Amino acid sequence: MTKILYANDLTACFSLWRKEGMRVLGPVSKAKTSGFGEVQDAHELDLNLVLTARTLKELFFPRTEPMFSYSIGKQKIETGEFLPSENACIIFGARPCDAAGMAIDDELFNWDYRDEYWFRRRDRSVIITIACKESDDFCMCTSLGLAPDSAKGSDVLLRPLASGNGWRVEELTPKGGKALQPIASLLKEGSEAAAPTAEVPLLFDLEACTTWLADPENFESHFWKEISERCIGCGTCTYLCPTCHCFDIQDEGDTYEGIRRKNWDSCSFQLFTMHTSGHNPRATQSARWRQRIMHKFNYFSDKFSVNSCTGCGRCTRECPVDMGVRETLQAISTLQK
Amino acid sequence: MTDTIIAAQNNIYRPAVMKIAATRNEAPGVKTLRLEFQDTADQEKFAAAYRTGMFGLYGIYGEGESTFCVASPETRKDYIECTFRQSGRVTTALAAAEEGDRITFRGPYGNRFPIEEFHGKNLLFIAGGIALPPTRSVIWSCLDQREKFGKITIVYGARTVADLVYKQELDEWAEREDVELVLTVDPGGESPDWKHHVGFVPAILEEAAPAPGNCVAVLCGPPIMIKFTLASLKKLGFEEANVYTTLENRMKCGVGKCGRCNVGSVYVCKEGPVFTAEEVSAMPAADL
Repeated sequence: MTKILYANDLTACFSLWRKEGMRVLGPVSKAKTSGFGEVQDAHELDLNLVLTARTLKELFFPRTEPMFSYSIGKQKIETGEFLPSENACIIFGARPCDAAGMAIDDELFNWDYRDEYWFRRRDRSVIITIACKESDDFCMCTSLGLAPDSAKGSDVLLRPLASGNGWRVEELTPKGGKALQPIASLLKEGSEAAAPTAEVPLLFDLEACTTWLADPENFESHFWKEISERCIGCGTCTYLCPTCHCFDIQDEGDTYEGIRRKNWDSCSFQLFTMHTSGHNPRATQSARWRQRIMHKFNYFSDKFSVNSCTGCGRCTRECPVDMGVRETLQAISTLQK
Repeated sequence: MTDTIIAAQNNIYRPAVMKIAATRNEAPGVKTLRLEFQDTADQEKFAAAYRTGMFGLYGIYGEGESTFCVASPETRKDYIECTFRQSGRVTTALAAAEEGDRITFRGPYGNRFPIEEFHGKNLLFIAGGIALPPTRSVIWSCLDQREKFGKITIVYGARTVADLVYKQELDEWAEREDVELVLTVDPGGESPDWKHHVGFVPAILEEAAPAPGNCVAVLCGPPIMIKFTLASLKKLGFEEANVYTTLENRMKCGVGKCGRCNVGSVYVCKEGPVFTAEEVSAMPAADL
């Protein structure tokens, strides 16, 4: 026997959580795109999406956020800090690849120095993930060692019932357990079978790829130029990546008052690494694409023993010139043979 | 999002406020600021953490933050000196700041020169142009405890006589009997009364021919100078493991998050900015 949450009870669940002072967010489609937004009613959710276009990371690391306010007087600088203080939230209906991405980002934002902007939101959120029963041609979680029902980064995992009426509920963390308490009355004992999870084919041999990337000989391989020649440096892949975390810090305002903000930035951009002298360590688009791939599959794993890619496939799905991690790693797999 | 203003003790992006205690024009477009902390707790935190080689982010609200080394030594920690060339938005604002003005500082960040390991050794400092500031921090750290080191040689070159920075200190070092100072300017950069060398640093260094035995070299300068000077040091018999240098990549956070200062898998902000030439050689050259 296991706990079942029926889809009919979802709106009631949301009310119970809100009564506890929690906000409820989930996948919503609007204005030709989809992402995570606050919802009141279960009908607002778009649970049929294979994956939202935008990732979960925006909930913890917004595209732009104020860090400090400043006001400068003759003898004094007055500053204020904007630290996230939103109510705790339930994120209902994340996908396993996105949830895993958040756990990977935690490593970076906690690397010796703890980023309060990230963790104040992370600590006050509960991720309830729904295992995937469908995938699309761009999904590649299995190639990254994950699966359509991976538990990594989730607090609760829901497995869709074969009937389509609801989900089997798996509590994964104490935080998840606590979040389930207020809705305990709506969780029914049952033995209904779960739908089979999506079959996501293996697209490349990750180990062969990381081995090739780790070889210093290949750093200046002509491969990088060939594979990235059509990259237009738009940054879409980085903005839509659950694990891309690079940012800029910019002041908005004038000499007297304004706001210091943390903004998304991207290794695809020429200015990202440009020195004041004009020297740019990564002066070409191919050097920048190499950085993105190396960062994900070599540098990050060197530091944190995990690749910073969960196979969500967005970089390939949304790339305006049909590039992406998938193509690059498939090509490297082929080079290896 | 309903963000409200709350004070946090541990916000890693919160800079300390510093007062400009003095300013000095070093060379055309190059200025030194002496900064004093306004908050005792900030001062104590800095004094406890700072070691020569570390860097900071110097800022002016409304303009932003810019990364450069702490040019004052770990033996003098009740103030911070920074020397910079006015070139971008932040350095232009910093250059316009006057004595008594407030600016911000985040740091100290990064690793350090292992000065204890230099005890008992001869020291060779080589710097080019605006790269004397990071070298100067090590020079004073050693001169302030002079008895712990052997022979100290400083080779410093700039494009022109006017471009030499810390001119007063150069005079002071020139007069010291326990320091050998070798000054040079690029050909064409000399003034009529210039009494020192004319020529590029690598050639002048080879002429001075410091002995590599029991000697540590600290080399800071623009990439092209580093490249040729390393070749000269090699010729003189120096091993890469005994040559220290600093890397200065663009940074925004200083604490390993913003993702841009890495050379290969090495984050300059956390694992640098001080490296041995041996460590730099192991990095992918195309990423430097």
